Amino acid sequence: MYEGGIYRTNYKEIDMENTSQVPVTVLTGFLGAGKTTLLNRILTEQHGRKYAVIVNEFGEQGIDNDLVVDADEEVFEMNNGCICCTVRGDLIRILSGLMKRADKLDAIIVETTGLADPAPVAQTFFVDQDVADRTKLDAIVTVADAVHLSSQLVDHHEAEEQIAFADVILLNKVELVEDNDIVKVNDRIRKINPFAKIIKTTRCDAPLDEIVGLNAFSLDRVLDIEPDFLESDHDHEHDDDVTSLSFVSDTPLDMDKFQDWFGNLLRTKGQDILRSKGILNFKGEEERYVFQGVHMLMDASPMGPWPKGKNRSSRVVFIGRDLDNMNLKEGFENCKSA
Amino acid sequence: MNADLEKLQETNKTELERRGSIFNIGAPATEAVTTRDQIAVGFGDGTVRFFQSGSDPKTVKAHKGVVLSMTNYEDHVLTGGDDGRFLKISSDGNIEEIFNFGSKWVDCVASHKDTKVCSSGKTVYIWTKNKDKPQTLEHQSTVAGLAFDNKGKRLAVSRYGGVTVWKLNNNKWTASNYTWKGSHGTVTFSPDTKYIVTAMQENQIHGWRINDKADLAMRGYPSKIKSFTWVGDTPYLVTSGSSDAVCWPFDGKEGPMGRKPIVVANGGKELATFVKALNGEKAVFTGFTDGSVLLAEIDESKKPIMIRSSTGAEVSTIAISSDNSQILIGDMKGSILLSSLWADN
Repeated sequence: MYEGGIYRTNYKEIDMENTSQVPVTVLTGFLGAGKTTLLNRILTEQHGRKYAVIVNEFGEQGIDNDLVVDADEEVFEMNNGCICCTVRGDLIRILSGLMKRADKLDAIIVETTGLADPAPVAQTFFVDQDVADRTKLDAIVTVADAVHLSSQLVDHHEAEEQIAFADVILLNKVELVEDNDIVKVNDRIRKINPFAKIIKTTRCDAPLDEIVGLNAFSLDRVLDIEPDFLESDHDHEHDDDVTSLSFVSDTPLDMDKFQDWFGNLLRTKGQDILRSKGILNFKGEEERYVFQGVHMLMDASPMGPWPKGKNRSSRVVFIGRDLDNMNLKEGFENCKSA
Repeated sequence: MNADLEKLQETNKTELERRGSIFNIGAPATEAVTTRDQIAVGFGDGTVRFFQSGSDPKTVKAHKGVVLSMTNYEDHVLTGGDDGRFLKISSDGNIEEIFNFGSKWVDCVASHKDTKVCSSGKTVYIWTKNKDKPQTLEHQSTVAGLAFDNKGKRLAVSRYGGVTVWKLNNNKWTASNYTWKGSHGTVTFSPDTKYIVTAMQENQIHGWRINDKADLAMRGYPSKIKSFTWVGDTPYLVTSGSSDAVCWPFDGKEGPMGRKPIVVANGGKELATFVKALNGEKAVFTGFTDGSVLLAEIDESKKPIMIRSSTGAEVSTIAISSDNSQILIGDMKGSILLSSLWADN
């Protein structure tokens, strides 16, 4: 290989005069869980709104919308040395095309195949600047079949990932399941994902304003996380089960120590950390810091001063595989300021 | 020239804006190509409009959604749309549907003489003269760019993982693969057909020397490269994607290997989004994120001329009429400037 002289510029940051970003809702869930039912509810009950729906070629038929786009779910590796950094190439192409339309879209819904890993979809919004400038990931909504979820979680990594990545989980078909089984499946979901909102539904009959227009990927919304704090019990059966861990500290953290630890953690273990979120209280800083990550990619920023009279405690949540072997608790504790 | 530039900036309007016409179409301009005596522009409302100096544009309602791709074809244009249609359109409004792919988009089009080519999904479709049925070329991932060499004997198809160069021999296409990790978009042959170059999903362009497949990486850009153009006899490959027009020299045996590019047409905090050569000159038009357009010689010591002032919407296309007399500039808000390039026109 030969290489042209590398060209560098002094360019810093563009002031994107932001034409409003179109929200994108990602719909995941196994075949038969009720994705199409939910999709058609969104499309028919929100009158006067213009949606584009991106479906996959194996998708269920019968979507009631003018603008349905066929996608191929082409997962591309980014050539940036980050092994788990994959994006949906077809999504970049289709979203760029949709942004050239003369009419303004109110929202875009991306339906994924039942066996899809949600990470490349989410990462597309972190990695591609054009996509990030013109659209924003609103929320990942997972439709889960209350009857079959438990067995799907045992049999398929993808089912775990879809639960792990979700901001909202519709636990659908609850009318077909005994109450104590619902409690069990609810607990199983909570163990994987403590911060998703779980809505129990029959025929996906959840209020739509709890599903679309959530802004769940906005850094502001990290402040809303009230994870169900679980005992760090270790009763999962396999080491590759997806679990979650969360930590709280009332002692302010040292910013340098945290950055070293967290940066290194994502670099070395990012493949196994599916999602991370946190609110941080750094010593000597008046503002709250928030972050939100998908695998190795992360978005972080200061988010205004701490509310008066509220406890300045740092909270972090990790969802992933093999979390027990990452010394997360020790690492987090070491970030406390002396 | 300096005094002229200052005068232009004082009056806010450029000389070309004063003597040209401005049309507000209201839909993003997606593509512009030059036919014999007109400039055809595709828009995000599915229309193709034919512009000619001194008259109102002729509007053809072509596609239902967005005109995604366009190229010239004899006196016509070929267009691909997000309505799945591949069309041949004449300026008098005559539309011939070459093929309808239904719910699949027609992402790329190309032509050479009487050969019409489009891509939809992973397949390239080629219609040659007097044949109703297209030949098809399959690829491992969705086609993101198409380019013929100047003789029409080779067709470069960019995709994930590299470029497939198809060569036509005795009516048969044979493939040769040029591999580089990552996703490759728009593709071009150098005018001497010794190189192929692609714009990548990453902020870089990648090239191959065709005869030995030697790789050529051109990196360091702050954003994705959406546009490139070959300029002058050297030639230079001029690209968007930075705050300047970045000009890579492709002369000699090694092209830009180990050499630094020339940078001209600095846009300050704006990024270049579209570049277009001024035919026959060592000069390039560079459009920016704010809608402004500069004309610059490929010479760092020369000052650029402002051709169009800021409109607030990024420049999405620039075309020059076939007789080199008119320039058309279009942006993402659908504002079109059509103006004569020379004062005595």
